Amino acid sequence: MPVGPFGIDPLIWAPLRLVIAVGLALFLVLNGALLQIYLERKIQAVIQDRLGPYHVGPFGLLQTFADALKLISKEDVRAAATDGWFFVAAPALVFCPMLASWVVLPFAQDIVGTNLNIGLLYLTTLGSMTVLGIVIAGWASNNKYALVGGLRSAGQLISYEIPQILALVSVVLVVGSLSMIDITRSQAGPLVNALVLPFPFLIYFIAALAETNRTPFDLPEAESELVAGWLTEYSGMRWGTMLALSEYGNVTVVCAIVTTLWFGGWQGPGVDAIPLLGVLWFTLKVYAFILIMMWIRATLPRLRIDQLMSFCWKGLIPAALVNILVVAALALAFPTTKIPIAIASWVLVVLFVAGIPFVQRRRLRVLRARARASAAPAVRAVS
Amino acid sequence: MTVPLGAYVAVSAVLFFIGCAGVLVRRNAVVILMCVELMLNAANLALVAFSRKYGSIDERGSVFVVFVFVIAAAEVAVGLAIILSAYRNRPVVDVDQIHQMKG
Amino acid sequence: MTFDFVEPVVFALLAIGVIAGGAAVVLLSRITAGALLMAFTFLCMAGMFVLLGAETIAAFQVLIYVGAITVLILYGVMFTKFGDRPRALFFQRQTPLAVVFVAAVAIPVALFSFSFTSAPPRPGGGDLPALATSVFTDFAFPFEIASVLLLAAMVGAIVLTGRDDPEEAALRRRR
Repeated sequence: MPVGPFGIDPLIWAPLRLVIAVGLALFLVLNGALLQIYLERKIQAVIQDRLGPYHVGPFGLLQTFADALKLISKEDVRAAATDGWFFVAAPALVFCPMLASWVVLPFAQDIVGTNLNIGLLYLTTLGSMTVLGIVIAGWASNNKYALVGGLRSAGQLISYEIPQILALVSVVLVVGSLSMIDITRSQAGPLVNALVLPFPFLIYFIAALAETNRTPFDLPEAESELVAGWLTEYSGMRWGTMLALSEYGNVTVVCAIVTTLWFGGWQGPGVDAIPLLGVLWFTLKVYAFILIMMWIRATLPRLRIDQLMSFCWKGLIPAALVNILVVAALALAFPTTKIPIAIASWVLVVLFVAGIPFVQRRRLRVLRARARASAAPAVRAVS
Repeated sequence: MTVPLGAYVAVSAVLFFIGCAGVLVRRNAVVILMCVELMLNAANLALVAFSRKYGSIDERGSVFVVFVFVIAAAEVAVGLAIILSAYRNRPVVDVDQIHQMKG
Repeated sequence: MTFDFVEPVVFALLAIGVIAGGAAVVLLSRITAGALLMAFTFLCMAGMFVLLGAETIAAFQVLIYVGAITVLILYGVMFTKFGDRPRALFFQRQTPLAVVFVAAVAIPVALFSFSFTSAPPRPGGGDLPALATSVFTDFAFPFEIASVLLLAAMVGAIVLTGRDDPEEAALRRRR
């Protein structure tokens, strides 16, 4: 029976605790999105050798406030032919699973919403619910571009869930628990899991880029493709919810998972003395990964939908399966030490990265042969 | 006052028979597939309820449920593939009209 | 002040959700609405699993049913056009007879199922360790067979719906 602080009556404290938790999560999501939109624009500007927002507020810091105010005050345009309830419900279906996943993120030693013993499974489950919202959004817009964009996005998300989950499973095999707090605690000091399992980290990071619709996998939401895909009919705050809040919320959750699983979560110098310092370390690590994702966005071009899908099914999934095979075999063979797993994982990383030129060369040969074969009869047909 | 086992089994039975009635009553093949999923879910609920309230420590009922999940997923995939390829042949999805085996 | 009333209240709400969702799938003429309400049924079902203490099964339920099967069914609904027709034609001709027979079986079964009583309560603690141990030791062989089944289903679905790539068909014709 949860007796509240200051001895509040438990009957009041139980629902009040829920309200505070949801409010806190919402607060973090909103402020996180605010900060990340600004960071994204400034970082892209720096990389592209221009200035970025600088009018509103010092260094343009209040730019996102201005954008949010604009979005909220926009006219609520809803085409008459869109499918009533579904059109309105789709942003909620996309936003709510992301909000619900903030409850298991471990910010510090005791600062976690709840220590579920299936924490990681819970996060992957919520990640798979977003697909439903996107399909509904595409369908409800009553617009063939939106529908095709929605189905493409759903296909991408479903496909990239597989290497994501397989990479997470290999870490869980080594750690032995699905609870986020246990995973963090299993990494003693500077010997973080990234030194032991870099290959799943690579796979998960790439799959997570695709899961959150970030470049180079942002075909479904790019403005030059299919007229912005499944978001076409959404404007104003609906667009703001679905795109800005959900996407940046998802990015934060995914980077939090990366931090917890591979980089020690809240641990850092001085955490044993001051537990609250864990929040600072956690936030810094999460934002380091968010900055890396933004850096990738500013650098790489977009993949086409068929390139994206064939990279997943013919590239990442075999890599993830090989990874699980190797990690499981070594974890069973050497149950006391992690060094063989570390060696094998680093070897796999080197093979993966060094094998890319070979794969590219072979594919180029196949494409050239196919082009040569199909060019010949066309000439015959013309003459 | 915990919820008695009978309540869970009753809910499972009602859902199962709603799904059963749906299979017998609807014309659209995709809706029939949805009702079959309802029946599978009802069975899962009964299995988990018995397993958690009565079962031994090794959760055999829940293990069975895991396999039911697998089979339900496989069945939906193949069922929809069949419906869609029949639809490509003749664009009807009304089960009363999909009665020609040739072509 | 004990919180004993919470569990029956939550169970009642979830039961209403499950049965209402199921009825909606059978009765609604708009199939997309039916599919979404089926997803709602699955979510309430997952809630019931959590109430029973089987949280891993609940997570699997949401992951598989809401995350994948609902999306598959929505794809199926979107790709097949079930035209506008008067409401009576959504149901078969034998509807009244079927309802009578099903109700005749359902009502005694539902009333009988209330007679089940629970054993004395077991210590809680979730089902993850027991489930994992069982699946990978006692039931390892069915687990492997299930993987082969999924592979067969995947290959079958691809073969059934695969269309010929026009370039490859042209290449094959020329050979």
